Formats: sequence, structure tokens, C-alpha cells
Amino acid sequence: MVVTGATSGIGRAATAALAARGAHVLGVGRSLERCADAEQAIREIAPDATVSFLLADLASQGQIRDLAGAIVEHVADQGGGKLDVLVNNAGTVSSWYTATEDGYELTFAVNHLAAFLLTHELLPLLAAAPAARVVTVGSASHRRTRIHWSDIMLRRGYHVLRAYKQSKLANVLFSAEFNRRVARTSPVRAYVADPGLVNTEIGLKGTQGLARMVWGRRRLDGVAPIDGAKTVVFLAADSSVEGSEHLYWKDCRPLQPSRYALREDEAARLWELSARLCGMEA
Amino acid sequence: MKSYVLVTGATGGLGKAFVAECASRGWDLCLTDLREHALEALAAGTERMYNVHVLTRAGDLTDAASREALWRYVHDSGTRFHMLINVAGTDFEGGFVDRHLEELRTILRLNIEGTVEMTHRVLAYRDRTRPLRIINVSSLAGFYPMPLKAVYAASKRFLLDFSVALNQELRAGDVTVTALCPAGMPTTPDCVQKIQAQGLMGQMTTMNVGKVAHETINAALAGRSIVVPGWVNQIISSLGGLLPAPVVAAVIERRWRRARASLTPGGARPLAVRAPESV
Repeated sequence: MVVTGATSGIGRAATAALAARGAHVLGVGRSLERCADAEQAIREIAPDATVSFLLADLASQGQIRDLAGAIVEHVADQGGGKLDVLVNNAGTVSSWYTATEDGYELTFAVNHLAAFLLTHELLPLLAAAPAARVVTVGSASHRRTRIHWSDIMLRRGYHVLRAYKQSKLANVLFSAEFNRRVARTSPVRAYVADPGLVNTEIGLKGTQGLARMVWGRRRLDGVAPIDGAKTVVFLAADSSVEGSEHLYWKDCRPLQPSRYALREDEAARLWELSARLCGMEA
Repeated sequence: MKSYVLVTGATGGLGKAFVAECASRGWDLCLTDLREHALEALAAGTERMYNVHVLTRAGDLTDAASREALWRYVHDSGTRFHMLINVAGTDFEGGFVDRHLEELRTILRLNIEGTVEMTHRVLAYRDRTRPLRIINVSSLAGFYPMPLKAVYAASKRFLLDFSVALNQELRAGDVTVTALCPAGMPTTPDCVQKIQAQGLMGQMTTMNVGKVAHETINAALAGRSIVVPGWVNQIISSLGGLLPAPVVAAVIERRWRRARASLTPGGARPLAVRAPESV
């Protein structure tokens, strides 16, 4: 199993829980220090855990491709060449408009494009497994928003919440379209895990001022990461999910996402754009 | 004839914003900066997003030989420009006596020499079928003498005056020059931290780079001399003219020192006076 954003918050809790259940987990993080820290912490809870960490900054498409290569090698070596679960958890929030090295807006690039690209790069591995799952960590924030087609990078009308909500909506649109396209040719299925309000540092790393203060207060009402990770772990590992037609889950139960998120035309349009932005041939 | 926009310092926060703004208008681009890898990634992403053609050329604008190589490339490839955006610039903040001479030279070479040379050279390679727009990134700091950023602020004042003068001088030749004077911009985690350290004023003077780039290109197309984005910043820039320069300098120094103290652990330390370096 691969878990992105595995060094803190929901990702770290999910990695620990999955490893404790005996899964062979590859965690992905940006910082060498925090990867080592997370690995150590997990081994303390579950000394027999098979867990390793790979370094990659998902804001860079070059690094995502290198990461995929490293995962393919690792899985070929130690996983029989098949990947059972990919958890697209890494996410970010930014007070200000920031562009990645590829020139894409950071929130869109990390929260959506990274998941899109990584999933595609790992598709051969996922397809080799009997019934692989792609679990993307979404959010209730996907509701009451839309894709801003005329300025999708929000260059001219950037607002921290608008960027975040759009990216979470993109998570659902992507997962729905994935099932429509991929289901025809392979048994891989995508699910979206809504973790609810969770007390993590997501709103502290790239923000300042009001946004930072608001998250600092709001996070206190959230559950601990280990509880936020429940649905992620459930979707990744529980056998009852097998073959389920439900896309969006919260508290380990299916939930209806927003009507916009289920629109096939919007999903197809986002898919075409994302494929182009990730440099994939049509 | 294929005509490009030349952008220096293209891979920095403001540079990328200008690249995106120009590309969104369907303009082809020629980008230069220090790091080749960053330029290539940016070019690829920009081409995919906006369907324009992007050339890249890595180089060091503080190095005469490197600048020469860039322009030889332009000459040999027959590239022509309808816009030049001089973003490349740097600072080494802190007490003047604490700076190494090489740091000070770099500020002068990049901010002043590099910009002047690029501006001079591009004239020979302009697309003569349309106006040539030059944008020089100065700074709000160009309006004031700034203690602890003395050389930087003075270099930005240079660019401000240089741009305003040239805009007048070259007008008849269908060339316009625009000086952009932003406040600090939230482009790197370091910059964001510094803005944070300035408290409310920091928040009120800060703008998203995407918007700044858009406003600036519009101003350049209209041939305006100076762009100060943000109404708070416009007030600040005009206030500078009302008070005597030494008074302004004193106010700025107090504010800046306080902001720096909140950033460095242990608070501000008194300026150490070092023995003069050997030249």
C-alpha cells in the first residue's frame, strides 16, 4: 500500500493503522526528518510493521514521476509487482497564490493533479492486483462550489477557501470519472474518504493571518487524526468494501456527495484538462 | 514574424506570475534565470496550460560572459521581442557593515547593471511591427531610503528614476518603460514569514502576485510610467514625498528593526563594527 502525506495528520495515522494490521506500507513525505520521525513512531507502536518511507514533494511533477519509478521498483522487489491500495491523502492549504515549479497553482497541483498523475503512473501496478483500490481523501468542503473554468488556477481571483474547496471537489470528480473510464478495462476502483473535521496541521503550514488563526481555533473542534483516518483505513483494508458501487464514504458508511460532484460532463472536462497538464498523451 | 516576451528571473514567484499572465494572453515567451531545471519545468507546464511556445536559456545576469552568451543566442536564433520584463533582482538584508563586499556587488550587478544592460540590448532585437514594452521591477522601497536595506532600496530607486526617464525619452520611438513598485510579496515561505512579522501593515500591503502581474501588464500596454499595486501601497508611496527623507528613514528603521527582532531568536542585536575587509 502507498500512502501520500504520511508524515503527519491523517496520512500518518492511516499509515500506522494499516501497518499495524500487517499491511506492507510505503509512506510518502517531503521532509527526510519527518519521514524518519514518522517511521520511528510507527515502529514504536507496531514493532513488526513493514513500513518504509519515500521522499517526494508532490508539488513537482518531476518528483512525482521519480516517486512512481521508485515505487514500481520497490513493489517489483518486495510486493510481487502488484499494488493493492493507493491512498491519495497529501493535501495543502495556502493563504496566498503560489505557483509550483511547473507553474501550476499549489493547492490545485498538490491536492488534485498530484493524485491524478500518481494514480496514472501506478495504474499498471494497481491493475496487476486482484481488486486494487484508490482511496482519495476528500472533504465536505467539496460542497457548494464549482470548478472555475475561466481561471482554474485562480491566478486573478485567488482566495484560500475557494482554492481548497475547488481542489476537494476535483477529488470527487476525478474518482467518479476514474471509475467510469477504468472500470471497463480493469478491476481497480476509486473511493473518496470524507474524514470529517480533523485536528491536523494542514491549515498551519502554508497560511498566515486570519486563515491561520481560524484553522488554529477550528481544528480544536476536530477529532484526532487517528479517528479521521478511520474511513481511510476502512476503505483501504475492509473486505466489505469490495465491489461496492458507492463512491463517497464518511464514518465508514456511504454518503451522497454534492450533485455537482456527480456531473459527468464536468468530470470528463476536468479529466481531459488534468491529463493535458500532467503531460499525458490523449 | 514570431515575437516573444523576454522575462528575467522567470522562476521566482513574481516571475512565474508574469509568465502565466503573458501566456494567458497567448504570447510566446523566452525565459531566463539561474537554474536550468526550474526553467525547463516551468516552460513545459506553461506550454501545456496555455498552448504557447516557450524558449528557455539559463544564465547568470551578474556575469558579463553569461549575458553575452544569452544575446548571442538571441542574435543567432533570429528571436525578436515585443516585451521585456526585468524581474531578476536580489537583496541581502541586514546591517551594511555586516555584509560581505561580494554580496553588495551582487546587488549592484544584478539589480542595476543587469537590468540596464538587458534594457539596452533588447532595443536592437525588438519586433519593429509593434510597440516595445519594457517592465522593470522596482519596489515600494524605491520611494524611500531604507535602513537595513540601504543598497537594495537605492538600487530600486535607481530603477524607478531610470524607468521614468526612459519612458519619456523613448516614447517617440514607440517604446514604453514601466516601473513596478510592489510592497513585499508572498512568494516564498521566507517572504511570507517576513510579512507576518510586520503585523497588520504587512497584511494590508500584501497582494497576490497573480493580480500584480495582471495589473502591471495592463499598465505597460497603456504606457504608464509607474505601477504601485494596492491602494494602501499607493498611499504609502505618496506619503514619502510629504516628509523629509531622513525622517522617513528613521521611521522605517524603527519598524524594520522591530520586525527583524521578532524573526530572529534572542531579539535584535546591536550592530557590530568589523575591521575593514581587505579589498
